[in-house]
Amino acid sequence: MSTPPATPDVAASLYEVRQKIYPRAVHGWFATWRWLFVIGTQAVFYGLCWLPWNGRQAVLFDLAARKFYIFGLVFWPQDVFFLTVLLIISAYSLFLFTAIGGRLWCGYACPQTVYTEMFIWVERLIEGDRSAQIRLDKAPLGANKIARKLAKHAVWLGGSFWTGFTFVGYFTPIKTLSFEVVTMSLGGWEVFWILFYSFATYGNAGWMREQVCKYMCPYARFQGVMFDPDTLTVTYDVDRGEPRGSRSRKDDHRADGKGDCVDCGICVQVCPTGIDIRKGLQYECIGCSACIDGCNQVMDKVGYPRGLIRYSTQHALKEHWGWRQMLTHIVRPRIIIYTVILGVIVLAFVWGLGHKSTLRVDVIRDRGTLAREVEDEQIENVFRLQVMNVSEQPQRYTMSVSGIESIAINGPTEIEVPAATTKSVSVAVRVPEHSAKKGTNTIYFDVRSLSDDKVSVHEKARFLRP
Amino acid sequence: MKSWMVVLWPSFLMAGVAEGVFFSLVNPQELYLLGEVVDYPPLAAYSIGFLAFWALCSASSWLTCAMHTNAEAVNHLPPHHGVHQ
Ligand code: SF4
Ligand code: SF4
Repeated sequence: MSTPPATPDVAASLYEVRQKIYPRAVHGWFATWRWLFVIGTQAVFYGLCWLPWNGRQAVLFDLAARKFYIFGLVFWPQDVFFLTVLLIISAYSLFLFTAIGGRLWCGYACPQTVYTEMFIWVERLIEGDRSAQIRLDKAPLGANKIARKLAKHAVWLGGSFWTGFTFVGYFTPIKTLSFEVVTMSLGGWEVFWILFYSFATYGNAGWMREQVCKYMCPYARFQGVMFDPDTLTVTYDVDRGEPRGSRSRKDDHRADGKGDCVDCGICVQVCPTGIDIRKGLQYECIGCSACIDGCNQVMDKVGYPRGLIRYSTQHALKEHWGWRQMLTHIVRPRIIIYTVILGVIVLAFVWGLGHKSTLRVDVIRDRGTLAREVEDEQIENVFRLQVMNVSEQPQRYTMSVSGIESIAINGPTEIEVPAATTKSVSVAVRVPEHSAKKGTNTIYFDVRSLSDDKVSVHEKARFLRP
Repeated sequence: MKSWMVVLWPSFLMAGVAEGVFFSLVNPQELYLLGEVVDYPPLAAYSIGFLAFWALCSASSWLTCAMHTNAEAVNHLPPHHGVHQ
């Protein structure tokens, strides 16, 4: 057979070799904001697991006990509804913010951005800025290079382990976990998840970086649906910048027919995903605004007005609108509809949380004992009541039953349930033979807290008469 | 590298969803596995559950990837060049 043709482009693009990106350090208004977000989100992440509350960890997803604690709230598996609503709220907020200001989430709050930012900061401390890093990578292996690379990876790994440890500390109480680390008595799965999360952090923030955003992020793929011509995004003002070109300080560049872009390439060098924003909006752009800060520095230096790259909308750019006009166009039907829906869901969620009952009862007919006749011509059915005290104080409850004439509980009618626990009691219910019809009868259990009358549950059950 | 990422990551997300839904409805401690009560420690049960979901979802993602290649790419996959010569 003849030699096969060269590998087609499709395959080639799948195996495309990644060029390492060395983002250049940048200072400015947006960079400051990004750092504030990094510090804020990480103070919460690393700190919250150490916060005590009511003698327990304030935020703990206790898998072993199947209970999630968030400050004063305790969520049971039955509350999965709240979790779902919370996810819907997050998704809706994301749509809303994206429609208004583009990928704000990516640029400021996404863990991928935040950890990459921290890792790059370490890299700069140890290897120097962009040019120093490029030089170091090109240099032959020597003592200096080995020392710096080792130091960098050691710090990265240290940070990653701390991150992994913190992460697992939200699922196993972190004090227990620390104790287990110190006494080297960690369980196998705890070790597994700490290492898993550590290496995920190390790999994603240290090695993969922008590739995660480019190839793994589903959100980036949907930006086209969420953006419209009135969405604020990081944009290069083509009309003002072009034709680009270098120039000497003294020239009047307008007279020479040149635009404001001096083609210095700073915007490309600072970009963490390595794209050129001057080519227009691209899905690789995570909206980090580093190019805005970078270009503004250049504009200051050459004495042109700032904002050649800025937050703007497609419409504003086309129609040469000022800030005020652009902002009035941001309030559009889409934004209003999103805001209203989001507001309604949030209100319903808060209302639901406020009215979450602290008592729950499940009635199960005891499968072992059938309906039977007992003394004095009475019929007895045995039920199993699962009484869940969802509050954080121990409670006493009283139980009663109704629905059939002269129906009564045979045995104790009070039950004490410790804080945040489920207690299961067996309850024998008796009915005089003549008052129940043959077959199934509907009855109701009422369980009421002795300390608070409002805490009560009315549960339906079936009483059998043979 | 890239194809690994495209397979493992979406399946990781979906495994997370599956894990959440499944274990909020089912308590692993009340499960029977091949006729025996599951008596692993909770963390083990949840972890094994997650890894199993992840493996399943990865298989699905991988199949999608495999189906997505066009005929030309399949006929001329680089590693099999030798066979044609
Ligand atoms: S930083 Fe500004 S002036 Fe420099 S190349 Fe980019 S757009 Fe042009
Ligand atoms: S183009 Fe600008 S805003 Fe977009 S990712 Fe690059 S530096 Fe950030």
